[in-house]
Amino acid sequence: MKYDVVIIGGGLAGVTAGIRLQKAGRNCCIISGGLSLNDVPRQEFIALGGAFLTGGRVLGGVWNGDELESLVVSNLEGTGLRADNYILATGKFFSKGLVATMDNIYEPLFGCDVEFEPDRSKWYDPDFFAPQPFERFGVKTQDGRVLRDGVPMKNLYAAGEILAGDIDIVNSALDVCNRII
Amino acid sequence: MKEYDVIIIGGGITGVGTARDCALRGLKTLLVERFDLTNGATGRNHGLLHSGARYAVTDKESAAECMAESRILCRIASNCVEQTDGLFVSLPEDGLEFQDTFVRSCQEAGIKAERLDPKETLELEPAVSPFLLGAVRVPDASIDPFRLTSANMLDATLHGAEVLTYHEVTSVLTENGSVVGVSLLDTRNGERFEARAAVTVNAAGVWSQRIAQLAGVDLEMSPTKGSLVIFGHRVNHMVINRCRKPSDADILVPGGPVSVLGTTGNKVPFEECDNIRVTAAEVETLLREGAKLAPVLLHTRVLRAYAGVRPLVSSSNDATGRSVSRGIVLLDHAQRDGLQGFITITGGKLTCYRLMAEQTTDLVCRKLNVKRKCLTAKLPLPGSEEHSKEPKSDSLGRKAAENRHGARVAQMNFSDKSEVLCGCEHVTRAEIEYAVNCLDVHNLIDLRRRTRVGMGTCQGSFCMAKVAKALAEALGCPEKADEFVRQYVSERWKGIMPVGWGESLREMELMRKKYGKL
Amino acid sequence: MQQDNLSKNNFEQCLKCDLCTTVCPMKAVNPDYPGPKQAGPDGERYRIRDPRFYDLTLRFCLNCKRCEVACPSGVEVGDIIQTARIRYGKPAHALRNSFIANTDFVGSMASSCADTVNKLAGKSSVRSILNAFGIDKRRPLPEYASERFSKIFKPESQDGFARFLTFYHGCYVEYNHPSLGIDLIELLNVCGYGVRLLENEKCCGATFINNGLSARAKVNARANAASIRKALEAGSEDVVTTSATCTLTIRNDYEHLLGIETGDIRQHVMLATKWLFGKIDSGEIRLAFKEDWKGHYAYHTSCHMQMLGWQIYSIDLLKMIPGMRLDVLDQECCGIAGTFGYKKENYEYSQKIGEKLFGNIARTGAEVVVADCETCKWQIESGTGVKVLNTIEVLLDALDIQKTRELNR
Repeated sequence: MKYDVVIIGGGLAGVTAGIRLQKAGRNCCIISGGLSLNDVPRQEFIALGGAFLTGGRVLGGVWNGDELESLVVSNLEGTGLRADNYILATGKFFSKGLVATMDNIYEPLFGCDVEFEPDRSKWYDPDFFAPQPFERFGVKTQDGRVLRDGVPMKNLYAAGEILAGDIDIVNSALDVCNRII
Repeated sequence: MKEYDVIIIGGGITGVGTARDCALRGLKTLLVERFDLTNGATGRNHGLLHSGARYAVTDKESAAECMAESRILCRIASNCVEQTDGLFVSLPEDGLEFQDTFVRSCQEAGIKAERLDPKETLELEPAVSPFLLGAVRVPDASIDPFRLTSANMLDATLHGAEVLTYHEVTSVLTENGSVVGVSLLDTRNGERFEARAAVTVNAAGVWSQRIAQLAGVDLEMSPTKGSLVIFGHRVNHMVINRCRKPSDADILVPGGPVSVLGTTGNKVPFEECDNIRVTAAEVETLLREGAKLAPVLLHTRVLRAYAGVRPLVSSSNDATGRSVSRGIVLLDHAQRDGLQGFITITGGKLTCYRLMAEQTTDLVCRKLNVKRKCLTAKLPLPGSEEHSKEPKSDSLGRKAAENRHGARVAQMNFSDKSEVLCGCEHVTRAEIEYAVNCLDVHNLIDLRRRTRVGMGTCQGSFCMAKVAKALAEALGCPEKADEFVRQYVSERWKGIMPVGWGESLREMELMRKKYGKL
Repeated sequence: MQQDNLSKNNFEQCLKCDLCTTVCPMKAVNPDYPGPKQAGPDGERYRIRDPRFYDLTLRFCLNCKRCEVACPSGVEVGDIIQTARIRYGKPAHALRNSFIANTDFVGSMASSCADTVNKLAGKSSVRSILNAFGIDKRRPLPEYASERFSKIFKPESQDGFARFLTFYHGCYVEYNHPSLGIDLIELLNVCGYGVRLLENEKCCGATFINNGLSARAKVNARANAASIRKALEAGSEDVVTTSATCTLTIRNDYEHLLGIETGDIRQHVMLATKWLFGKIDSGEIRLAFKEDWKGHYAYHTSCHMQMLGWQIYSIDLLKMIPGMRLDVLDQECCGIAGTFGYKKENYEYSQKIGEKLFGNIARTGAEVVVADCETCKWQIESGTGVKVLNTIEVLLDALDIQKTRELNR
């Protein structure tokens, strides 16, 4: 199955990007771990001709150097998901875009470089209402592209909450779209 | 200014148990507690009803005491106790010699101890490590300390006792070499007043030292911190102990829908007792050692970690006081320090609270020249009276409430209040209102202790807002709902941080999203 | 050492985000139903302690699996509820359920005298009797075909093909609508594939599972798994189906709920649309459509299709038709949930649930709804009056058979 852009993650960032790209004439597929909560945007995306995939999980990617060729998806046995460009918009810990063990934080799909504090006791602020350090952990990017071992990947971008630092979800998604278009 | 026969300082199980005994003997009783009931060691332990086996080797007298008391509690507090039996498991690194000593000591103390081979053990309790060398079965049981304290308090108040939570003792009043009462501060609204009584009982746990100081006597406590972790669901159905000299992470107790693993042990300075934190190292020790006992723990969600301080009396004091029996420290300050009207009861363990309360109340009665017999071993606690189990067709909320409150479930109004507000523990509006009306609840944290609200896998992240609203409405102050949530979420946060990785970190992110802006 | 604080007990991974409850179609219309979170992981935690905590309101679960699709934590909510029902539930109306659930029995009896049965099913007196028996009289009953698909099918007609597939036809094609099976065979033949049937096909067992008859479901499951294994060993490339529910039941429920091993065969059981799309995508098969075929259709993703995630195949196939104007409907549950909606105590909930979908369909103005589920078809047809076709039927209808045959020689 071939698309112009495959967006991994059907949250606000993913669906925002999907709509923007469909409007720009790109043929997109959003693969979503759950049913996107963003009802109206999702409907708009589908109405614009976008494909919204449910019921499956991305298990990993097939790489050619620093170019992502296709995705292996759990319920699309046999048919990989191919695209020219990919956007990683899988969110933070809650949506499993990032995984935390007792002493490490990593990005589970592609092993992208993650910015985080190695000392776990510094992940939290004891005051619940204060901004929490772990809320600013995330994937590092260069020109919107993810890094693996410090090397930017040609066609894999990241948008939304998966990013490190303070992010505006919608703007980060639109920014990535502009780079792709 | 009010007059009582006896004032009890401290809302842990010892103080509350004493209040019950005093009230049942007709004494005009006041119990004061600076926070909520069970805020101290009572609310921060394993929930283990000791058969006494654990102490058999080093202290046979204590062990026999535990055995006798646990039998009594199984009867009078049947709704708070799950008679699970317990196992003392010998792992390869422990060897089997200690088991011989152990079994012999139990028998000498009158505690039933049955040797089991590995196969039998695993059939009884599949969660035990498959590498065990052998095990010994003893009549350990699981007890809910919140439910137990709540039931004692309820019985005390039903028999005329007054219980004032959120009232701090600011000074102990003395006149002519005798304690005559206390000065109290209502910490919620700043009101100050005095209460007087012929006898004042210091049952303030590890803080007995401070109360004693206020009375002008010396009492040195030796605070020992213990950390525990709670797992997401009940992985074992029998108490599992390690059969060796007591050490870290020796006990895994099934408690209601969860399992509790503990404990670590290290002395802390007295000043730290008001601000106890679990350290990352303690959590790691617990998980590592616990996994040896029950490997399934490696794959079970950890909900939270908490720590308590054991109220152990410094040995230098033990010699001078009149210890009624080893472990239990009952000090008549008239004899010890020449101060009339003041008693301290401390040390001991949860399992023997009733005995401690009986001994204390006996002494109080002697001082008041009251000749009444102790009834606490005979009369069942509220909720533990005989009653028929609810039919299968009942709603889940009602069944869960019956499980928690026993016969008292009849007092709850399920007809239009059956909406479940805490999903993890199936707590309904009906149960919340009952707790507000009968169980002295002032905020969400109190409510949690009385009903298990927020003690489930989400630690309140799902239900906090709804429950706070229902609670505020029941208390007649709907505007306080947000404040309750803020208090509660901060309290939950403390316990989740030490285990804040994996699923718990996901839960923390969700909590922040839901309540961070309040 | 505990690395990820991740429980091996699936129910324990629930974070109580309640997303499942927000998408549960039953919760939205029935205040007595606690919702998937409470019925599933919340309840399970207490049921583990004591089976007495099993709650009777679990009977309202439709088994639509929307909760599982929505769950961000990977909790198999629907399965947890179904397993609890199997383990602790004691369903009422045992006789009625046993009757409705036994589609093979009812189907074979009904098709042996289909004309009579169909006439009687339309009579209000008969419906009243059934109503007393627990089958709601407002619910239109399915029509039966006078000849069973497996009898119509002529194995000899499939000789001479170099490659072949096996068709798991299911009860709908067998007893109610054999023309769908015939259409599929024609389509596959035109593409150069012969079709065989399973040696000993039984109802997939979905209705048994949902009516608390797991023992009987296991009998069918074992038989089907064995037949499928045999067919694959005999050289069949794959086993294709035309029903999302049958597919999901065989692929997932056999193992998760019944404990029947399917690890070696499950990847070979798939919807015909998925199989076909795969062949087209790889270039092995090519389809040609009539130039003058035009249609304004709406695609409905059945709940179980959404769980499989394969609606994308049906949609992409339909979009290959040049004259197709396709409105993809936002996924909603139709409400019938298999045998669920036939029962008197459930009928009103079914209809309330379906309202949203019916409204969405009407708003598109589409002349036909395409859906890969037979009970959705019955529900939508009776709820909207719009005709419902299976994707395969639409493809064949729009197919330029001559050209396609040539392309695939």
